[in-house]
Amino acid sequence: MKQLTNICAGIGSAVLLLGKSIGHAPTLLRQWPRFIEQCYLIGYTTLPIVAILSFFIGSVLALQAGYSMQSFGAKEFIGSLVGLSMARELGPVMVAILVAGRVGSAITAELASMKVYQEIDALETMNIPPSRILVLPRLAAVLVMMPVLTIIGDLVGWLGGAIVSKYTPFIALEPEKYFETLRRFMKFKDVLNGLEKAEVFGFFVVLVCCSIGLETRGGPREIGASVTRAVVVSLILILVLDYFVTKILI
Amino acid sequence: MQNNPQQTARVGLFFLLGVALIWVAFETLSDGKVFKDKGYTIIAGFDNVRELKLGDEVRMAGVKVGSVEETRLTGRRAEAVLRIAPGVIIPNDANATILSAGLLGTNYIGVDLGTPGAPPLLAGAEIKTKITADINTIMAQLGDLGTKLDNALGSIGDAMKGKDGKPGLFQRLDTLLADNGGNITETMKNLKEVSGKLNSGEGTLGKLINDPKLHDELLAAVTDIKSAANNAKGFMTDAQAIVDQVKSGQGTLGTLIYNDEAGQNIKVVTKNLRDISDKLAKGEGTLGKLINDDVLYRDAQGTLKKVDRMVEGLADQGPISAVGVVANSLF
Amino acid sequence: MTSDSSTRSPFSEAQTPAVSVNIEGLSKNFGDLVVLRDITLKVESGEIFVLMGPSGSGKSVLLKHIVGLEQPTAGRVLVDNRDATDPATREQVRMALVFQAGALFNSLSVYDNLALYPRENRLASEDGIQEKVMRALQILSLEGKAQKFPSELSGGMKKRVAIARALVMEPQLMMYDEPTSELDPIMSATISEIIATLKDEYHVTTIVVSHDRDLALNIADRVGILMGGKLAAIAPPAELRASTDPRIQDFLNPRIDLKNPRFKHLET
Repeated sequence: MKQLTNICAGIGSAVLLLGKSIGHAPTLLRQWPRFIEQCYLIGYTTLPIVAILSFFIGSVLALQAGYSMQSFGAKEFIGSLVGLSMARELGPVMVAILVAGRVGSAITAELASMKVYQEIDALETMNIPPSRILVLPRLAAVLVMMPVLTIIGDLVGWLGGAIVSKYTPFIALEPEKYFETLRRFMKFKDVLNGLEKAEVFGFFVVLVCCSIGLETRGGPREIGASVTRAVVVSLILILVLDYFVTKILI
Repeated sequence: MQNNPQQTARVGLFFLLGVALIWVAFETLSDGKVFKDKGYTIIAGFDNVRELKLGDEVRMAGVKVGSVEETRLTGRRAEAVLRIAPGVIIPNDANATILSAGLLGTNYIGVDLGTPGAPPLLAGAEIKTKITADINTIMAQLGDLGTKLDNALGSIGDAMKGKDGKPGLFQRLDTLLADNGGNITETMKNLKEVSGKLNSGEGTLGKLINDPKLHDELLAAVTDIKSAANNAKGFMTDAQAIVDQVKSGQGTLGTLIYNDEAGQNIKVVTKNLRDISDKLAKGEGTLGKLINDDVLYRDAQGTLKKVDRMVEGLADQGPISAVGVVANSLF
Repeated sequence: MTSDSSTRSPFSEAQTPAVSVNIEGLSKNFGDLVVLRDITLKVESGEIFVLMGPSGSGKSVLLKHIVGLEQPTAGRVLVDNRDATDPATREQVRMALVFQAGALFNSLSVYDNLALYPRENRLASEDGIQEKVMRALQILSLEGKAQKFPSELSGGMKKRVAIARALVMEPQLMMYDEPTSELDPIMSATISEIIATLKDEYHVTTIVVSHDRDLALNIADRVGILMGGKLAAIAPPAELRASTDPRIQDFLNPRIDLKNPRFKHLET
């Protein structure tokens, strides 16, 4: 029962925070430098790990698909399989998970420590709502950066699949053929769906991480607990949202 | 509070990269839709466009000359709008057919070359279409063939046995003997009696000659003999008639035996059947393999199931399905 | 030069009325834990009120009620006759709270820490802000530290930066939460001097929460002693020294008695 109350309280504070942040949206232009800084932290610094992970996910997909498809001679469809899987599902979900792990945890840690060391209280007494200067720029930044990270992830994943398909002896599929089937079975809508999903995931991950960070109570030990909770909640949220967003988009 | 300019530049560059990549994906995947007005469209009407999808190829003598832009239903027929690359001339007597490129139901539209010198099809014109059997139709026809063979064999059986109250060949012969049985027996009896009397020398020849009663009797006997002979003659005539009937090709058996064409057909059918069964027995041909090779059969079944699931998965193109497809193909 | 009833800005000749704080029947529970019980007190405009009490007696919680960071369970807090829980109060009455650990923004330089309030509330142009910030740093002898980050400062310096940051707000009500804790005696004395000087020069109503006897008895106009969530006494320092209440005497002049140590009698 107490758990349930806690969950509801968590959802409630996240929703309130969202409302407050949206209310401050007009101040975004004034906070341009802060927004750029968050774009840098959320987008630019996450790029290498997104690229590495996507490359290998695409490669493994191609390898597994090639291995199982060669037995019924459908290996030319590897392109479409890797393409669709990356664009519609694995690209957005993987990027969201990386953002949760790399950016979300950092956000929670920063806000939780600000809360514990009374910096948040200081902001309140200075009439500066934390939702305005701490949450809003992050939400705006993640909305701008998620599609960029996801499309890079998608394309790098496709490329990984193409390279593996070409150089694996039992697949040996020429890149032209790979990309031809990829193109034949895919529409831009598939990629767009993925980008929309990534947008939703990223937005809620950052919102939840901000909310949990700001709700931290107690001493420095609670910072660690908050970070753990934020990452776990984010991961669960990504997969639950994935189901519903996919249902809506189909 | 100012950002360091390098950071701003990086974010800007990064953002531009993202926009550029999204544009690249759009260009690549929308299949040149941005430049969709290239070339011209023609219309191909079909009873059924089957698995034909947007973006499927149009090939002329095997060379890609365009793609399917739209499939739609107009009235009681399906139409495919084909976008043909500029510079490709399709004669107006060329035929379009839906062909399948692979087992997984990827179709393309094949256009033949038509006759040289025929006037070209103009934009918006309709191309002639031909129906080709797809795999389902072929399967259905194979089934039909089986039924027909069955019927043919049944007819042969019927000819022998008789059917619907009409007597068969054996029955007819039987009836012939049965119907004339009395006459034949009587004739035989009379003949026997005469020859018996002659043998016993009763009244002998003199008696025969001198005794008018006997003469009368003899006369009557001769008359009897005559009529018996006549009867026998009738029997022979009947038999002859049957033979004639058979000879002239009347009746089923007659047809079977004396009609050259039918005979030839039977021969061919028989030969074909024999070939088919030989082949089946030897395990030649796909069907034979399917029948003879258990492993292959199970493989095929498994494959078809997988293919089926895959096709479903691809068809609804859901991300979850996509994962399903991946999972299915992986495990 | 300044009248008794108005607060002067450190940056201009502008004068604003000093504010008073009224706490009426304030109680606060955290779940089952009762932290404050029916507290009633009035802080007059322009005085230094020092709230003393043992650790955990609820002093900081009381302070948080005044700035509106906590909601009372019962009773109310009036700042300049406005309810402290109303967000509008914070806009009409400039209140500054100097947190125990300074609560400086670690990601910002000293200069940006001080400039945050006027910038975010758009109170001055960048030039005006710079002037104010440098003046505030000058008042606290911190001119050289503008570009340092909080992590590069010593404890005493952090406190002074925090006070300077509060000063930039041109407060009518200045509050200090344990301003001398974790500081050596000399630095404690320095901070006490700063608090008294600011009050003398700018006539700002000041509430200090502390258990520092020297600070309380030297600079306070009145001292309140909070024990177990209740006010045990309110009196000017001289009166308090003469008090005969054994609890107060023990709190102000604890004798270290090795023969009969207190911890043996503590409630468990």
